[in-house]
Amino acid sequence: MPAATRLTIAILAAGLALGASAASAADYPERPVRILVSFPPGGSSDLVARLLAEKLSSELGQQFVVENKPGAAGTVAATELKNADNDGYTLMLSNLTPFSVAPTRFPDTPYDPVADFSHIAYIGAVHLGMFAAPSLETPDMAAFVEQAKAEPGTIDYGSSGVGSWGHVFAVAFENEADVELSHIPYKGSGPMRLDFRAGVIPVMFDAVPQNLPNVEEGVAIPLAVSSPERLASLPDTPTFTELGYDIVAENWLGISGPAGIDGKVIGTLQGAIASALKSDDVVAQFDTWGIVREDMTSDAFTDYVASSAKSWEPRVKQATD
Amino acid sequence: MLDNLALGFATATTASNLLYCFVGTFLGTFIGVLPGLGPLAAVAMLLPVSFYLPPETALVMLAGVYYGAEYGGSIASILLNIPGTPSSSITCIDGYPMARQGRAGVALLITALASFFGGIFGILVIAGLAPVLAEFALLLQPADYFAVMLLGLVAASVVSNSGTMRGVMMVCLGVLLGTIGVDVNSGVTRFTGGVQDLRDGVGLVVVAMGLFGVSEAMMSARGATPSYATEKVSWRRFLPETDEWLRTLAPALRGSLVGSFFGTLPGTGQTVASSIGYALEKRISKNRAQFGKGAIEGIVVPESANNAAAQTAFIPTLTLGIPGSTTMALMIGALMIHGVTPGPRLITEHPDLFWGLIVSFLFGNLFLLVLNIPLIGIWVKLLQIPHYFLYPVVVVLISIGVYSIDHSILDVWTMLAFGLLGYVLRLYRFEPAPLLIGFILGPMMEEYLRRAMLLSRGDPMVFFERPGSAILIGISAVLLVLTALPRRKRKVTPNEEATETP
Repeated sequence: MPAATRLTIAILAAGLALGASAASAADYPERPVRILVSFPPGGSSDLVARLLAEKLSSELGQQFVVENKPGAAGTVAATELKNADNDGYTLMLSNLTPFSVAPTRFPDTPYDPVADFSHIAYIGAVHLGMFAAPSLETPDMAAFVEQAKAEPGTIDYGSSGVGSWGHVFAVAFENEADVELSHIPYKGSGPMRLDFRAGVIPVMFDAVPQNLPNVEEGVAIPLAVSSPERLASLPDTPTFTELGYDIVAENWLGISGPAGIDGKVIGTLQGAIASALKSDDVVAQFDTWGIVREDMTSDAFTDYVASSAKSWEPRVKQATD
Repeated sequence: MLDNLALGFATATTASNLLYCFVGTFLGTFIGVLPGLGPLAAVAMLLPVSFYLPPETALVMLAGVYYGAEYGGSIASILLNIPGTPSSSITCIDGYPMARQGRAGVALLITALASFFGGIFGILVIAGLAPVLAEFALLLQPADYFAVMLLGLVAASVVSNSGTMRGVMMVCLGVLLGTIGVDVNSGVTRFTGGVQDLRDGVGLVVVAMGLFGVSEAMMSARGATPSYATEKVSWRRFLPETDEWLRTLAPALRGSLVGSFFGTLPGTGQTVASSIGYALEKRISKNRAQFGKGAIEGIVVPESANNAAAQTAFIPTLTLGIPGSTTMALMIGALMIHGVTPGPRLITEHPDLFWGLIVSFLFGNLFLLVLNIPLIGIWVKLLQIPHYFLYPVVVVLISIGVYSIDHSILDVWTMLAFGLLGYVLRLYRFEPAPLLIGFILGPMMEEYLRRAMLLSRGDPMVFFERPGSAILIGISAVLLVLTALPRRKRKVTPNEEATETP
């Protein structure tokens, strides 16, 4: 979608939403709204939810309260969301793991990522980078692939866990590039970055924003990023697609609720979120956190969640079977 | 360095920073005193407030909350045998017997002083060695971390008063309970019984509060908790005897050293620091026969260790941007919301923030001391409340605390189940402290063991080729053998004993 069209839609959506919120302002929201967050407090996604909650509270005149429900790859929060009343008073900061990865990774996941939810608004996405240590002496992807082919199975790479998006993506990359790497799983990104700095693992697949300080300092070389286009934060780093590997991945964030939320309520929320995403401080914060913003209508977002789940299904199966 | 400290003083002594430092330590202490609510809950509660403050003030306040809660956690350990935070569970071992002997006031005063000592020691370590220590964390590899955890587990089984065999059994049970959840290496779920909420394992606070808090309440209902010796609330009674003062200096120094060291290793933290410190002290102390029966060294060491560790834990967090614990992850979050990214450049790019924080630690520890000594009288009076009023309130508080972590009702039920387990174990004279330490360290040890083996492609020699891990494994082996030797064999003069231990 060209940027101009996107902008028009966003303006239209915001306009429509303003009208809708005027019409339904009497009914929604009448009492505080909960936003479930599937991460423990303090992470960047939690901070997104808190920032947004603050904006929505002032925009809609009711408290939006962040409730952290971490656990089981986000499926604890998503299950609670599915079972909540669909009156718009329970929402969730939806994201890639519980909606696109978990249903395949854990076959007993008790929900359908599309049918059981109302996907209200897309917020933005963070992208994945493949980082190499300078000691590996592979300044770019071509050199890396050459070395990986010469010594199959000897190069270790870290991910933030079995079935994490970094792992799933790395397996897809191994297939595309026809190389064989050894997986060293970690419990989250923090310990992995420590070992990377300590020289334990020479390669890691991890979200871009938290690695920018390492790149600046010269201890991590970004070989490629998983976004469809180059990232503003790493303008010199090619995308995987540019390099001829047909893989794109983004850890998206959105606001979703249980299935069957009233259209008016969705409209109110969408409008408030769209205007919150345009406020200067949100723009500034998202930029420093490396979150690429985008407005989407509820319908477009629902299609997006469906296609995201579909495109991750074969990859997840491949990585975890 | 003097320039830096001057800059730090300039930042830390502004009226608002001093005020928020005081507010932080004050609130932290009170939240820490409540069983079940530890530093994590305290920092999480106050995180939103920090969004409205400038970054250095926010960090000064949250840090105050954090080490204040760490301090407050020991109060409930001593008075009620319920650790306010997991890292103060070691303090229960000697603190609670002291309270029962009518010396709760002495124990609390010593705790305040030992915590202060450890805190100040940790601050000096950060101020002098932060850049060096940050690099040190990078020298360690998975094999070394494995060896550290192993030493911690061996130390934990030695802390037991009911015999090494029982200690080892409890550690093993803790390690087994720690395997519940998704396996890091294969992604397979273990022992969850198909329960989705157990995929991440059982929470540490859930286990700690069940084993210590709920079981303590059950013991008291059974009438098994002997009543406290009555204690007159007077200042003279709170002062330790002269020889006790002298006996605490060396242990406080050793505890602070151990604590400062373990605090800098991401992921190990205060609990490891206090348990290893205690175990080592129990080996080398001249007063070892008293350990577990209210030895003053038995509270000095873990308290100086965990407070020193609480301070030095900021080194990896701020200088590498890598949080050593969930609480530290919250600190990073608080900085990120202000657009400050912790990392190697933090000290050079935000010197006012870094040095201001360190100087604020100094004031915070002073506030804690000034705040807590007058409160000792009130805490001691708390013990005069009859058990049948006190314990139901405690159980309610613990339940709320446990629920507040993940908003999960299953956690509350699990905690009650662990309470029952703790009760049964106590009836058969097994102690909960080694179990808890096994539960904390076991999963980490497994993770590092398997990672080291994965990296070495299955070659176990990796543990002996690296000097760090080889030495630590050696110390663990010696410690275990020494403990397993029959008691009679160790009838040598105290001085000889002190030198023969590693």
